Amino acid sequence: MDIELSKEDLDFQVEVETFIDEHLPRGAAIWTQRAEWFTALKNKGWDVPNWPEEFGGPGWSATQHFIWDKVTSKHTLPPTIPFGQVMLAPILMGYANKEQQDRFLPDIRDNKVMWCQGYSEPGAGSDLASLKTKAELTEDGKHYIINGTKIWTTMAHAANWIFCLTRTETTDIKQEGVTFLLFDMKSPGVEVKPIYTLGGSHHVNQVFFTDVKVPVENRIGEEGKGWTYAKGLLQHERKGLAGISRSVFAMEKLKEKVGRVPVGDETLMDTGFKKKIAAAEIDLLALEYTELRTLAEMVNTGSPGHSSSILKLKGTMMQQTIQELTLEAAGIYGAPFGHKKVGVKFGRAAMEGYLNGRPATIYGGCSEVQRDVIAKRVLGV
Amino acid sequence: MDFEFTEEQTLLQDSIAKFVQENYELPTRTKAIKTRTGYSEDHWKQFAELGWLALPFAEEDGGLGGSCVDMMVVCEALGKGLVVEPFYASVVLAGTALRLAGNAEQKQKLIGGIIDGSIKATVAYAELQARYELNDVATTAAKEGDGYVINGEKSVVINAETADYIIVSARTSGERASDEGISLFIVDAKAEGISSIHYPTIDGGRGSELTLSNVKVAASDLLGELDGGLALLEEIRDYCILALAAEAVGQMELMYKDTVEYCSQREQFGHALSDFQVLKHRFSDMFVETEQCKSLLYRATLEKQIGMPEARKTIHALKYKVGKEGNLLARLAVQSHGGMGVTEELRLGHYFMRLAVLDTVFGNYDYHMDKYCDLMSIPEGGDGEDFGFMM
Repeated sequence: MDIELSKEDLDFQVEVETFIDEHLPRGAAIWTQRAEWFTALKNKGWDVPNWPEEFGGPGWSATQHFIWDKVTSKHTLPPTIPFGQVMLAPILMGYANKEQQDRFLPDIRDNKVMWCQGYSEPGAGSDLASLKTKAELTEDGKHYIINGTKIWTTMAHAANWIFCLTRTETTDIKQEGVTFLLFDMKSPGVEVKPIYTLGGSHHVNQVFFTDVKVPVENRIGEEGKGWTYAKGLLQHERKGLAGISRSVFAMEKLKEKVGRVPVGDETLMDTGFKKKIAAAEIDLLALEYTELRTLAEMVNTGSPGHSSSILKLKGTMMQQTIQELTLEAAGIYGAPFGHKKVGVKFGRAAMEGYLNGRPATIYGGCSEVQRDVIAKRVLGV
Repeated sequence: MDFEFTEEQTLLQDSIAKFVQENYELPTRTKAIKTRTGYSEDHWKQFAELGWLALPFAEEDGGLGGSCVDMMVVCEALGKGLVVEPFYASVVLAGTALRLAGNAEQKQKLIGGIIDGSIKATVAYAELQARYELNDVATTAAKEGDGYVINGEKSVVINAETADYIIVSARTSGERASDEGISLFIVDAKAEGISSIHYPTIDGGRGSELTLSNVKVAASDLLGELDGGLALLEEIRDYCILALAAEAVGQMELMYKDTVEYCSQREQFGHALSDFQVLKHRFSDMFVETEQCKSLLYRATLEKQIGMPEARKTIHALKYKVGKEGNLLARLAVQSHGGMGVTEELRLGHYFMRLAVLDTVFGNYDYHMDKYCDLMSIPEGGDGEDFGFMM
């Protein structure tokens, strides 16, 4: 048992740190100099880190991914939308035919086409396999006609294309008869309605499909097998959602703030609040090692196994704990929401974090589902 | 990076598990507890023959030079078996004191005997008024001629009744709760002036209240630096917490497993208890917290083994977490077992009592939360962007 990184991994860590130092735009420049950042990444061969070498990715090991996350978590990176490169691309690589791969992957890589994910429905949330959006093959066999609705579709209002789970057959086993389709959001019959979440943000939408015509060549893999294609990624997705390196960074930021929030002539850190911070930090110390143990298992066996459920469950709880403590630290200045520059400067951001952080324990398999998964797969009940 | 055990560690783990399986059925254990010494001399001899008592000591002292991870493996396995032989008192507690601070002569005199089982030792560090503080020492050791005279009382000294030597913390200078002025002495348990009240503890162990009245020791019985005993006691505490936490994690693991198994068989309202989602989720939480405690145990153990500066902070974190989550898990396990949980028929109940005691040894979870807070780093400044106040 040891926690030393190999010489190669240590060298890689230095390479990542150097790259970040040289190329990462800081402050407001993450918006104005985004293009330069992405070009630098592409020149380095790191623009699609999760892609395997045969598809032009760097072919990083699990440890290298961990190092990348660890180093970049200490910085604010220009934001990316994960749906194309992270969520859809691996499915295309695994199950699409060569023509489809050639058609879609280059634009995904270069962020030329923005994708959204059509999975959840009003009647199919955590129980995703209950989805009902219908896809019927036309008599000439050339098209599917889509009718139904998707919900919580992130960035659907900006997306060019959607990848969508549809039902082509109703069977006793609801995981069967699901078909994986791609289509243009400008297709006739697609309508996007915004959903405003707590705090007034518009990230998610409900999308309605009325007789949307999709060519059969946009179907990935076989008809009726779409569930299998989508499911393979969920385990990796869960692990990714834990965001433990980000939480380590967020915890440091929180402590900085708490050490400066005045309480009379002292600071909030001189009160019992310190113990709440410490309790969260101790949980995080443990969680970092739970992640390392998962990583070591991935290196040994190639799969994160069911510890990905532990990481999703505890990792998202940790994110929320830090958000809750940050809001508590802001005190009365959590309330003003109309102006960014009154009282405690981080007040508004603290409230935004608290509000926007709620879905973390709901999406990607809610916490209750993770507990079910652990009980069933690990404990056998 | 690797979290696998070595082949030697796995063998060690298996040999202890085998010993426990063959010799440590609950009735056998109960019988041993009720003997005069509170454990089986036969078992103790086997421990020595199997080399377990030699593990943490340096090879030059006749030991096996085992690492922190080696000790973790052993303590976890012994803990799973609820072993009552004085391994912790003699090898971990007194052994660490001698390992860290003994001079050549003291090591020569004691370590060989500890390894072959002929000498048993313990450490008397606690006092009634001190609660969990190691620096609050009212017992005094006054210089007299070439040696010292010790006077005072020591509380809940583990396995003192069967110890041949007791390492005692006493004040050689300074005020009662001063950090400076504490010294450790190796005291012959049969020395004149020691009177004791011996008693069983609820976890199957033995404890003693010691009164030392004009107990004379030689200058050569001073262990470590004169007046510098607090730093040594804190080091001893670090190693002991690693051992206690390894034991606790092993017990937590068996408690959740026993709970799942019991609830899968027990039927009420026409269903196995494990069919109820409220219980499934409870099991899941018990499992997750056990894994979290194990992660922290690995972290603290490896940090200590490598000698990282944050090891002590992590060890405080570990004792806090194991004390808090371990006992919560124990209460949930008993609750899930219903009436059977409160009997002494299942090993579960014995783990429950052991975990309750473990939390009190070297400071409970609340105490270690305070210690952690003292060592927690508070970053200053940042870029100033977030931290200004407009008022």
